[in-house]
Amino acid sequence: MVLAFALYPGVYALLADSGLSTEVVAVLPRIETLVVVLFFGLFAMSFDFISGYTGYLSFGHAAFYGTGAYVVALGANGKLPALGPETPFMLLLVLAGVAAAVLALAIGSVSFRLSGVYFAMITLGFSQVLYVFVRDWDFVSSAPRDGVAVTGTLEGFRIGVPGVDGLNVAIGQLTGDSIEGLFGFINLSPTEVSFYAIGAVVLVCYLAMQRLVHSPFGRTLIAIRENEERARAIGYNTYAYKLGAFVASGFFAGIAGALFVGFRRSVTPENGFYFLVAGDALLVSIIGGFGTLAGPLYGELFDASVREFLSKEGGGGGLLPYLRANVGDATLATELYNGLTVAEAIDTFLNGHAALYVGLLFVLFVLYVPNGLLGTARDRMDGTLAKAVPRRVRRWFDG
Amino acid sequence: MSSDAGPDSNSDASVDPSQDTGESAADQSSGDGPSSEERDEPLLSLSGVETYYGDSHVLEGVDLDVYEGEVVALMGRNGVGKTTTLRSVLQLTPPREGSVRYRGEELVGRDTHEVAARGLGWIPEDRRMFGQLTVEENVRVAVPDADDADAALELAFETFPDLRERREAKAGDLSGGQQQMLSIARGLVGDNDLLLVDEPSEGLAPLIVEAVAEALTEAASDTTMLLVEQNLPLALDVADRFYVLDHGTVVDEGDTDAVSAEGERLRRYLSA
Amino acid sequence: MSAGVALASLASLAPAGPSIPLQFADALIEFLSPTTLVDVILRGIAEASLYVMIAAGLTLVFGLMGVLNFAHGSLTMLGAYLGGLVLVVAVAQSTGGVGRLLAFGVAVVVAFGALAALGGGIEVGLVRPIYDRPPLYQILLTFGVTLVLDELARIVVLFYGLQPTTVWQDVLGTKPVVLAESVGAAGVSVSGLELFQILFGVATVVGVHLFLTRTRYGLYVRAGGEDSEMLSALGVDVNRVFTVVFALGTGIAGAAGVLLAWDPSWGASVPLAAETLLPAFVVVIVGGLGTFRGTVVAALIVGLVDSSMTWWFQNFVDFTGLPEMVVFLVLVITLIVKPQGLYGVSEVGGH
Repeated sequence: MVLAFALYPGVYALLADSGLSTEVVAVLPRIETLVVVLFFGLFAMSFDFISGYTGYLSFGHAAFYGTGAYVVALGANGKLPALGPETPFMLLLVLAGVAAAVLALAIGSVSFRLSGVYFAMITLGFSQVLYVFVRDWDFVSSAPRDGVAVTGTLEGFRIGVPGVDGLNVAIGQLTGDSIEGLFGFINLSPTEVSFYAIGAVVLVCYLAMQRLVHSPFGRTLIAIRENEERARAIGYNTYAYKLGAFVASGFFAGIAGALFVGFRRSVTPENGFYFLVAGDALLVSIIGGFGTLAGPLYGELFDASVREFLSKEGGGGGLLPYLRANVGDATLATELYNGLTVAEAIDTFLNGHAALYVGLLFVLFVLYVPNGLLGTARDRMDGTLAKAVPRRVRRWFDG
Repeated sequence: MSSDAGPDSNSDASVDPSQDTGESAADQSSGDGPSSEERDEPLLSLSGVETYYGDSHVLEGVDLDVYEGEVVALMGRNGVGKTTTLRSVLQLTPPREGSVRYRGEELVGRDTHEVAARGLGWIPEDRRMFGQLTVEENVRVAVPDADDADAALELAFETFPDLRERREAKAGDLSGGQQQMLSIARGLVGDNDLLLVDEPSEGLAPLIVEAVAEALTEAASDTTMLLVEQNLPLALDVADRFYVLDHGTVVDEGDTDAVSAEGERLRRYLSA
Repeated sequence: MSAGVALASLASLAPAGPSIPLQFADALIEFLSPTTLVDVILRGIAEASLYVMIAAGLTLVFGLMGVLNFAHGSLTMLGAYLGGLVLVVAVAQSTGGVGRLLAFGVAVVVAFGALAALGGGIEVGLVRPIYDRPPLYQILLTFGVTLVLDELARIVVLFYGLQPTTVWQDVLGTKPVVLAESVGAAGVSVSGLELFQILFGVATVVGVHLFLTRTRYGLYVRAGGEDSEMLSALGVDVNRVFTVVFALGTGIAGAAGVLLAWDPSWGASVPLAAETLLPAFVVVIVGGLGTFRGTVVAALIVGLVDSSMTWWFQNFVDFTGLPEMVVFLVLVITLIVKPQGLYGVSEVGGH
């Protein structure tokens, strides 16, 4: 999977130059979209880490994402105490995670006395308090409702190994580095550089969470999800385990929020703290596979691809531009019903309305595929995909 | 079933074939002529009933018959499936295998409320009061036709005068004995032909047990009853026949006249 | 960000100067003056009426089925648009006040009926198959329904050339003049709309209360909320009761939407779905999930808190989000101090 992501920009560029270019551009997501998939996928993973693994629905998870995002934005604007605008991004990144983790500790320590619907509601309540607070606090910017843009520094945020200049690259669509002639033949645009840099951070976070999940700690979390009474009866302090998982989850959500601002260089209360941000994480977790760590990333990949395919602007290709270019005006102008042409129908019912189709799919998943894509595939294949696919292929050849 | 055989031979003679055909038990007994009159067709007949809770196999093929007008006690140690048998009849925990027939009609596959509407009443183990509702409302819920509610209330209060005084009290505030009375009253007013009664004396003071036993005996005079009861003297007093359940299957049965509370025959099944 | 930091910054938002305590005392005295208090209380009751309307259906459904319906806000939003449509079609420029009120009545009936039918359909088709799964899945499912309904509404609204994110102004224009005017006496003034909302809210509360306590179905609803298995063993078709109550709950949501469509501070728009869902959650949780009495009391509390905080924001504290933030704080604090809410029964909802 890591390899597939790593090769994607090259493959995309190759295909986009090939004879199939229009189809490819229409169907496949852009690299820019994939960057979003990476950091939002990380957020969804962190959400799934607590909700999917312990069964406690953290409906206020946006609070940690938003905190991470605002820490970076405020830090870069020199508004955090003792930190100037020149504070390295890597430090801000860690700070964002730590701030979100501390918040998670505070929220979790009271919330985990509750369960079920009540837990979902209290976390939702906390995040909405913060949302309203940030939305109307004029310290964050002169127009807090419109969010914060990074204005303190015009340079791109640098991701890399601290202290080693050669191993640092700047990210961002306009502010990022571009690389030419790596190994003699690889040229990377700023977006592609951002993709790899952010991808590296996400990979590290994923591996860390993976480590946690497969440790005795992670197994205890699953035991709690399956039967909390029994886990407690065996002698586990389930409260401490849940809180620990919540803090870790908050940390990674904060990192995801920090990467978001690192790339986009601005954040608003709506796309940082609002409860529907957690709703999106929930959506992609379910589609990808609730209770599987990588699942949410696949879910987010799917969601983002559909959204781009049906996007209004058609900036990354998409359905309508493709049809315009290839089907011919006559077809598009065909009247379907009462003066409604094909083009208008697509514009009305498809473009910009990916949420409808993703939502329908989500409902179908909840009803019929509650384990999501990855979870169901794993159930069928009996084991993780990475191990099962080669095994299947081998059996196929042998048999 | 030959006419001279007691209910004892029931399990050997008619139950085994009935596992396959389901209807054969009823056919046989009705076709057999001069058996005692109430043996014609069972009101309730279970054959080969197998019920699971999740993966655990609780009933492993239960066969029993209840005839119109009689009181049948279902006995056995804790956890052998007595309550599950009642739940299987009501389709609260639908059996996976076997057949439950009431007046010759198959109940398996029906919804609980449909079963109840055919005249089966349930007086459950833990009473299952609607604690936030008043005593009166608890009775009213159980009456199928709202027009009969006043007569039903009168019947309930006549049977249990204690309840009349507490008519407006919340059922959750009643004493355990009063709750049991209300639970029985709910079964009585429901216009039921067959009452499934689960451990009515459990956890009650001796004096209250007497009142409960009296009410049950009185109810038994015009209702058929399948009674789960651990209290052996009470069970033998009220019931005409008994079945003993062990490990999810019937291991003994007979007339209550033929055994005594002190006798060995039942003790070995019931002691732990 | 801890509560301490938040409070400290709140304090810093108040007017600067050494005399903050003094200013506070002044403001407090003004707040406690009879005219201000009556004003704030009336406004609070009007808001409580709205809250009780948007929360009543939610609490009925949760009380009986244990399903926290995340689609409730979307159903309110659909009711606002449907009712708005009826009003815009039925009311002409020349229509008099009585005619407009009659049109409103028709709009309420239409929205109630349509939403009840939709709710019944959702219950039978989508919610029923997953009653036996953990409560998590019911939240997920109804959340998905919200996404679909909101997007559908957006498509239709755009198709007819309206902006989904802004309030449908034409509906506000169908309001009779009477409701826009203020009635005043002894220094206290209250708008006709607020009185209308209070009337409507009281009627809803009385109506639901009578349904629950005086009808046979209401008896089933209360009994089923405690023990639906026992209820079915008494011969009651619990599934049908579930469907009827779900339909009733969504119908009330639809009627609430029509009422909101006339209120300029809410109005018919797609974001109304989330704007009503959150306060409805606060009200049902604070009251105790599933208890109608609790919902009524909590709506009053939240309405009064909201109106007094609005006063404080307008007169003393320079923080726009104050009322909204305090409302969510009420939710959080209630859950910390008394998780089952004011009148809740602790077993409900997976404690």
